[in-house]
Amino acid sequence: MERQSTLGPHDDPREILGVATNATDEEIRAAYLKKVKEHPPERSPAAFERIRDAYEVLRDPRRRALHLLLSADPWAPLASLLADRAPERRFVGPAPWLAVLKEK
Amino acid sequence: MSKKNTHRNQGKPSPAPYPAGTGGTTPDPVAGDPAFAELERLLAQGHSKPALELAKQVHKRVGTSASEVLLIKAYVARIRSLLNSGLAVEAKALLELVRQRYPSAKGALAEIGVDVATRQESLDDLLRHLNDPGLAPERRAEIETTIRRQLTDLGALAQSPVLPAEHALRDAAARLQKACEAVTTGPVEDDALALPEISRRSPLAPWKMLVRAIAAFYRPDDAACEHWLQLIDPDSAPARLAPALRAMISRHAASGLKPAASFLIAQVGGKMDALRGALQSLDAAFAIGRRKQIVPAIQNAVRACREACPDLVDRLRQHIGVYAFRADITYEQVREAMGGAPRKGAYFWRLMARQAEDPRAMACVPACTMWNEFRRHAIHEGWFAADGPEVAALYLHMADILQHVPREDLGDLQQSFRDRYSGRSYDYMDQAPSIREAARKYNEDDFYIVFPEQLYARACAIDPDPEVFMRWLEWARQGSGWKLEEEAAEAWKRALPKDSRPLLRLMELAEKRGALKKALGYLEQAESLAALNPEVRRGRLRLLVATAMRHIEQRKAHLAERDIEDLEALPQAREGDRPAFLAALRWTVCVLRSDPDGAARHLAQAADLIGSRVAVAMVTSGIADFCKLLDRVTDRYYNRNIVFDGKESLAAAVARGCALGDDLGWPLTIPPGFEKQLLDELKRTPGAMEARQLRLLAEAALRLDRRHLAFAASGAGLAKGGVTEARFLLLRGRALPEYEPERRDQCFAGAAELARRQRDMGLVDEAVECRRGHSFMGAFDPLAKGSSSMSTDQLNKVLNREKQAGEFPPFRTRKFESPFDDEPFFDEDDEDDDDEDEFDDDDVGPVTPEEFDEIMNQLNDLLGMGKRRGPRHKYRRRRPGPPGQPGPPRPPSGPGQGSLF
Repeated sequence: MERQSTLGPHDDPREILGVATNATDEEIRAAYLKKVKEHPPERSPAAFERIRDAYEVLRDPRRRALHLLLSADPWAPLASLLADRAPERRFVGPAPWLAVLKEK
Repeated sequence: MSKKNTHRNQGKPSPAPYPAGTGGTTPDPVAGDPAFAELERLLAQGHSKPALELAKQVHKRVGTSASEVLLIKAYVARIRSLLNSGLAVEAKALLELVRQRYPSAKGALAEIGVDVATRQESLDDLLRHLNDPGLAPERRAEIETTIRRQLTDLGALAQSPVLPAEHALRDAAARLQKACEAVTTGPVEDDALALPEISRRSPLAPWKMLVRAIAAFYRPDDAACEHWLQLIDPDSAPARLAPALRAMISRHAASGLKPAASFLIAQVGGKMDALRGALQSLDAAFAIGRRKQIVPAIQNAVRACREACPDLVDRLRQHIGVYAFRADITYEQVREAMGGAPRKGAYFWRLMARQAEDPRAMACVPACTMWNEFRRHAIHEGWFAADGPEVAALYLHMADILQHVPREDLGDLQQSFRDRYSGRSYDYMDQAPSIREAARKYNEDDFYIVFPEQLYARACAIDPDPEVFMRWLEWARQGSGWKLEEEAAEAWKRALPKDSRPLLRLMELAEKRGALKKALGYLEQAESLAALNPEVRRGRLRLLVATAMRHIEQRKAHLAERDIEDLEALPQAREGDRPAFLAALRWTVCVLRSDPDGAARHLAQAADLIGSRVAVAMVTSGIADFCKLLDRVTDRYYNRNIVFDGKESLAAAVARGCALGDDLGWPLTIPPGFEKQLLDELKRTPGAMEARQLRLLAEAALRLDRRHLAFAASGAGLAKGGVTEARFLLLRGRALPEYEPERRDQCFAGAAELARRQRDMGLVDEAVECRRGHSFMGAFDPLAKGSSSMSTDQLNKVLNREKQAGEFPPFRTRKFESPFDDEPFFDEDDEDDDDEDEFDDDDVGPVTPEEFDEIMNQLNDLLGMGKRRGPRHKYRRRRPGPPGQPGPPRPPSGPGQGSLF
């Protein structure tokens, strides 16, 4: 049975590997190896699978090219533009936190 | 509670003693009273006031111990509600009243009594009891429970003067206060939160978990945060923060949060949360599609984006621009709402092109022009090189888009494009100089973008890969004429001179148009590259056969004999039934030479080799027809004494003859008079033939547009079941008449689904092509482009229907139906299902000698009369299928087609 890719339609394999749009084959491979070191399969299997799937897309120039063309989704919700942005978590001191406790 | 009520209730009978707890158990007799159920519902929902009123009315009406238990329960709920609202004095007064009125409810009121007492006291009053060495353990537990549930000010406990400074609780509270401040003001190391002095049994243990949860939230480690939240006692005061924390982790707006919690989320989430909310509102506005909502929502979203993520504004404008394009809002309105134009770079054009490809509104030419804009900007922005594989992929993609244009309309469309297209310069009026520069940079003639052959040629020039050339050839094959195909094959040959495949294709094309010398030249080149390639070997065989037949046609018997000798010397000519074909060729030469004895000898030889008189008759008559010798064939060239063993199946013989003709590139004709006998035989003995024979018969029948025969052969194939079902369902679809569009579509979709499940991707492609070609609305039919996936239930319905359909559908006008309606498929035909019952088992059997004689008579009539079956032309051997259908199947590629039988 063929393994299902962990990449969703909006996942950008370049972003997962952290490479530029015009990265060369060597740069892609180097980025892949670096990411695998950061997320070895025995420690973070889910992250490793994503990294491997991203590399699988990028290593083949034709597949990479096709992905570049077809990965854009004009009908993706606009809110999904923030999907890759880590939510802000500002330190606001204890007062607003404790106010929640006092509110019954 | 009024005094009047007090007196009134004092007259009630004394209830049974209450069990300790929150009201005791409810005696059974009340269970059926709907008022009790309503009361329970109100209590469960936290509506203590109406619950108490109802409980009073019920108790007044019923006056049983059960009703009193419920009344006390309602009082307890009401007292707790007052406490939670900060009305401790009122809660205490009500408690006293209940105690006085219902003395036997002491147990039920004990717990709430503690809560009221502790609430009444100040924290210091409560803590003071802890200094008493004789404090009962129960009382100590009550105090600790109160601290756990109600302490919200760690500082008050840490600095309480009533406890000694070294008291464990004060120390723990001080440490927690410090930790709480630390985790909410900056990153904190795990070690700083160990807090070993606070045990799990401490009333402050939930605070320890809360502090760790907050630290994990900021780290950010959401899994750890959730872990610590789960360890917080849900009854404790710190648990009140859990909903807010979980809402911040999930990034979804939580409903029902109190103002302080919402304020906390807004403070911590900052402007990003505001932006997320604005984008969600804009999504909702676009979904509704009202311009009045969309424009202000755009303004809000861009404003919020500018504040929270200024780097995202350009990207957001690009997406909004695309959305608005389809929402039918004027560009000027959108630009004004966004406070500027979208940056029309590569990213923008890619989005625009993708939206133009939407199957709901496929606009092939605009999509191609947008992809071309994308290419220009992407190269300019350094996404890829001008000759990179991305550009080749793009050209192929554009060629695919153009396949949605019906071939017959493509020329007009190209002409119109040439006449009217003047670029997209109007799109750049409001763009920055850098974008305008990119748009100008590649100012070459871009008309090629609507010419698939030019797109393929460019793609192949960049990426000269056999697969790319094959796509080009496949596109060219679907058109009329051979020039486009030859152009593609020539380009392939030039790009990959070591590849024999383009040479074989060029050979076939030359052979098709009768340029046998040129074809031989290509074949020799192919043989020099790959002499052992089965296709090359078969090519030599086919070409020699074609040459021999050409010489016979030219009445050059000596040259034809030489060709046949050359053929006989080929090892591949000795495989399967091929020697029989060579014998038939020699028979034809004898006819040419007016040599009846030789003809009889070769005819007998051919019959011996193939083992079927009917097949031999088909092959010889076919060759004679191709060589324009039908007028010379008379009775003296047919030996009627060829042994007929009475066991021969006509259908099997015809299938075998067809297979042999296909194998050598000369598709043979099934004599029209055979059809009735073939249909009868298929009905009488549907299981007598092998699946491959049935397939050959059905394909030959389709090639000749004998749909009744193809229908019957595909039905016999379907009845066999097994792995060939997909193939026969496809043949059934092709056999069905034009006036059954939805039924055909279901057959194609079913064939595709079955093939997909069997992982036969070649057959999937064939079925998809058939579906597209047969679509009621042609290339623009959404059904043809839609998914052909079927559920197992749908598939079985189609299969069962086709297996049971015994008769070719009669002509009728039908209204268009959805392919996968829940309605049963074609009820009318179900009436025909029993047709096969008309035949008795006794009818099953081989062709009788009388029938065989009749068949031979028909064949002889045909030959003797020298009938021509339609105008013959050079491309006859590769007669394309009916419009919209793929061409005839290629003959078996491997040697030894005789092994089929």
